Formats: sequence, C-alpha cells, structure tokens
Amino acid sequence: MNSIRKQFTCMSSKRYIKAISNRCLSALAEDSKRQNDIFDAEQKRQKEAVGRIEKIEVQYEGIPANETLIMNRFLSTPYDCAKHLGDKVKDKSVVALLNGDTLWHMHRPLPTSCKLELLHYHMPNPSAVNKTFWRSCSFLLGAVILDAFKDDVDVQLHSFPSPNVKSGSFVYDVQLSLDDWKPTVPELKVLSINMIKFCQKEHHLECLDVSKDIALEIFKNNPHKTQQIPDIAEHNGDKITLYKAGPHIDISKGPMIPNTRHMGRITVSNVIKLDTDIPGGPIYRFQGVALPAAITLNHFAYSILEERARNLVSNLTKKQFFTVQSWVVSEIRFPHFFSGTRNFLFGK
Amino acid sequence: MNQAEVTKLVSQLRIKVNSRLRKFRNPKGPEERLNKLRKTVTALIKHERIELNYPRADEARMYAERLLSDAIRYGDCHKTTMEMADYWIIEKQLVHKLFKVLVPRYENFTTSYTRMLPAPRPYPGYAKAILELKGNPYPSLLPDTHTNRNLIHNVLLDEAKKAYRLQKYKEIADKVDNAVKTEAQAAVTQVDAKSENIEVAAPQDKSQSEKTAVAPKQAASQENVQVETPDVKGSLQKELNGEVKEK
Repeated sequence: MNSIRKQFTCMSSKRYIKAISNRCLSALAEDSKRQNDIFDAEQKRQKEAVGRIEKIEVQYEGIPANETLIMNRFLSTPYDCAKHLGDKVKDKSVVALLNGDTLWHMHRPLPTSCKLELLHYHMPNPSAVNKTFWRSCSFLLGAVILDAFKDDVDVQLHSFPSPNVKSGSFVYDVQLSLDDWKPTVPELKVLSINMIKFCQKEHHLECLDVSKDIALEIFKNNPHKTQQIPDIAEHNGDKITLYKAGPHIDISKGPMIPNTRHMGRITVSNVIKLDTDIPGGPIYRFQGVALPAAITLNHFAYSILEERARNLVSNLTKKQFFTVQSWVVSEIRFPHFFSGTRNFLFGK
Repeated sequence: MNQAEVTKLVSQLRIKVNSRLRKFRNPKGPEERLNKLRKTVTALIKHERIELNYPRADEARMYAERLLSDAIRYGDCHKTTMEMADYWIIEKQLVHKLFKVLVPRYENFTTSYTRMLPAPRPYPGYAKAILELKGNPYPSLLPDTHTNRNLIHNVLLDEAKKAYRLQKYKEIADKVDNAVKTEAQAAVTQVDAKSENIEVAAPQDKSQSEKTAVAPKQAASQENVQVETPDVKGSLQKELNGEVKEK
C-alpha cells in the first residue's frame, strides 16, 4: 500500500506534471513562451530604466468634467488617467488623443505633459476609433490563426494591411503549408469560436517599443517578419512597436483597443488563397467581420455584413502586396518618443 | 366542436405575458394588488414614462397593453371597454386621453404600445425599470445609432448597400446587353444590308445618365452595340426603367 501511495504522490508531484506538459508542449507553444520571456524581460528593463520618477500634468478634456491630473512621466498611461475619471470612462474609452492630434494607445506611458481626450465608439466622428478597432481585429485574428491549426500544419504569419473599414472585412495574410485549402463552414465556425473565446479572456493589449535586435530575436522563427523588421525599423527611428495580447506578440504601428473585452460579435468569414510568388508556401488571406461590444446590431443586418465579408478584399494589387513592408511603414505615422525624436508634437 | 376559439375572444398582446401573475402579497388582500396596479396604469397613461420597481412595472405593463388594445379594437362606444377604462383609470379625465390621443396614435402599430427598459439598480435596493408609452414626447432613452452614419456598423452597412447596388446595376446592364445583342442579331439576319446603316445613338434619358455614373461599364457596353431597331430600343428602355424603379 505504501509503495502505491509513494508512486501516486510521485505521479501527482508538480515535477511529474511539468515533465509531461513539457513533453506535450508543441514547438509553437515553446516558441510563444520564448517570445513572451523576451518581451517581459524587455518590458521590465524599460520600466526600471525610467529611474527617478518625474511628475507631469495631464489636462483631461471631456466627460464627466475637465480635470488636471498629476501623473508619472514614462509610467502613467492614458488608461491610468481614465481610472481616475471613473469606471464608465475607463471601460468605454478606446484610444487616447493627445494634444488634439496624436492617437495614443491606452496602455502606452505618457512622455510629457499634455492635453488628453479619450475617444469612444459613439463619438460624432469616430473614424479614428473605427480604424483602431479594425486594426485590433486583424491583430487578434492573427493570434487565433496561429493557435488554431494542428502541429502538422506550418503556420507563418505574414502581415496585415492598414485597416480599411469600408472594405467590409479585416484581413490577415498567413502562410500555411497546405495546398489549395478551402475552408468548410464548420472550419470557419471553429475559427470564429476560437476568436470569441480568445477575446473572452479579457487580455489587455500591451504595447512596447523595442530595438531592432530584440524584435529580430523575438521573430527569429518567422521568415516574413524577419524580413520586414529592418525596413520598418529604418522608417521608425530604429524602433519596432510590438503589441501583445495574452501570449501573442505581433508587430503593428498601433494604436489598438485597450482590452479584448471590447470585441462584440465576431465572425471569421472566409479564407482565400492568394496568387503570390512569396517563397515557402501558399499565402492565405483570412477575412472576418466584427463589431464592438458597445454597438449592438440585429442579426439580420449583421448577416448582411457577414455575407459581404466573404468576398475577397482585393483593394491591394499584386504589386502592392510584394511591397508589404512599405505599408507597414506607411502605417507608422507618429515618431516615437523613446527614440529621442524630433518633430514630436509635444516639442512644438 | 361548438366552442368558440378562446384565442380569438381576447386580443392577442404583443408582449410576453407571464404564465403566472405576481401576488404582491399585502394585508388588504388581492383587491389591494389590483389597486396598486391601477395606480401604476393610471400613472403610465398620465405621465407616459415612469420609473418604478421591476416587478410592478412588468405586471402593470400587461394590464396597460390589454387596456390599450381593447380600446383600439372596440372604440369608445363599447360598453365593456368603457367599464374597463373606468376601472383601470383612476383619474377620469384620462379616459378622454385614452380614446382621443392614444387610440389614434397606436391604431396602425404592429408592435407593442409600451416599452420597458431596465434602469440602473440602486444600492442597496431592488431592480428598477422604466416603463413608457411608445411615441411619447420625451427624448429617447436608447442611444441613437441610426442618424450618425460614421459609426462603425453604419459605415459597414452603407458600404454593403453600395456593393449590392453596384452588383444589381451590373446584372441589369448585362441583361440589357444580352437582349440588345440577340435582337441585333435577329435584325441583321432578317433585314438586308440596309439595316446595317441605321445607327441609333445610345439612349439618353434621366435614368440612363444616373446609371452611367454608377456603372460606367454598362454605358461602354451600350455604346458598343450601335445596330438596333427603334422598337427594340423602346421596349428595352421601358424594361430598364421598370427595373430601376423596383430597385
């Protein structure tokens, strides 16, 4: 009896579980863990590098009242400001507008004193917010695709074009080691459900500026991203902006929504094989449509949107597709403070 | 069976009717329950929007709906309806409002006459609700998501509409194109070389100019086909106009 008990305790010990889970971990999960470790270490390093804490004055304009907040330089984010203004403001703000002209991710530390506005989905002209939402949808779609396939399918995320709400669907281009895959309706449903489940985990979308070398280290297993990184860094003061939701890390200009909780109805509507010469395998364009949780739409109207999102978004010509780096770069509008930059809007 | 169909004796309400009524237990017994509800129904008809505890609102809503639907169905010359109005409306001047204001307002409604929305729950306290008559003069409680076409769902819907229209115009253009081609072929085979010289300019007309703006391909296709007889052109034009009107 004793021996059995001994064996049992041995089996249930943490080490044993760890050993099993390690064996079960796929290469993908290992890679994700490696990426996360690098990201976390860099994030920690940057936080520690702030050193002596300086105070900045943030003038908030908007509902419920205009206020002046004293925040910490390089530490406080617009999200922290929103927390001071109440739960309602915190939950509904999507993206911050600094000094009336710079869109700023909600979880990105503020570098100087500034005027702050918080934008949301129900504004009179929410085009910036819609773009932010659409970009986040693409980003999250990438996270879902990377996780959805079995181990025998090689998935390499390629990129996503700059958000265009009018096209009717958000897009992620992915290289798969599948020849001529046409998704069935259940397969698309599974993808949609995966995306919904991912969003229900309510991950914060974190933002981090890293140097080129760190970005290359993070994406060393992805040939496409590795290729894109030098070009992006060149146009962005040698910095790469990374976004992270849960375990997923990707390159994007941003800004993004602050939390995956903002996602309402989501449908992955179609996957279409693209005709390209990119080496390594066929490129598939994943398309989907989604609405923010703050906006409700009846099922009939939503079905019209779903139906439209099935059509291929082909506003990009083949030529543009090859110069993918250039769109990523064109996306990068605002120079980053951490690179010690020039015509930064606060400096004016 | 000589029984009347029970469902047709009472006008069907357009709200969900609870299977079991709430008791609102109190020392004065069941009659007091009805008195409470009478107060609420009267207040609803008087103020058109009231905020109250959820159970009372839910219960009173059924009686208000029933009263309104009966008033619309039978009018003010029906004895039973008048008695019911007299019972449910405590302030008698509101009986006039029921028949002269509310009945005309709701005559052509296809949905319920009242709207109930959950209100913020006070702490500590019970769940609250807002009960209102539709078409009241107050500002809407729900955010207006229709008029602002810049909201994300409106942008998507507008683009979907545009895409649908473009597709439909294309279909019409193709249809016309095919018809013109077949007719032209027929004409060519029937008539001699004489008919080949008849050149008819592309039809110009208000609807046509509109379409060219939307679907330039169609105009191009029409210009390509220049051989056609006037009769064919007229009939096609009619067809085209009819279809455009349908759209």
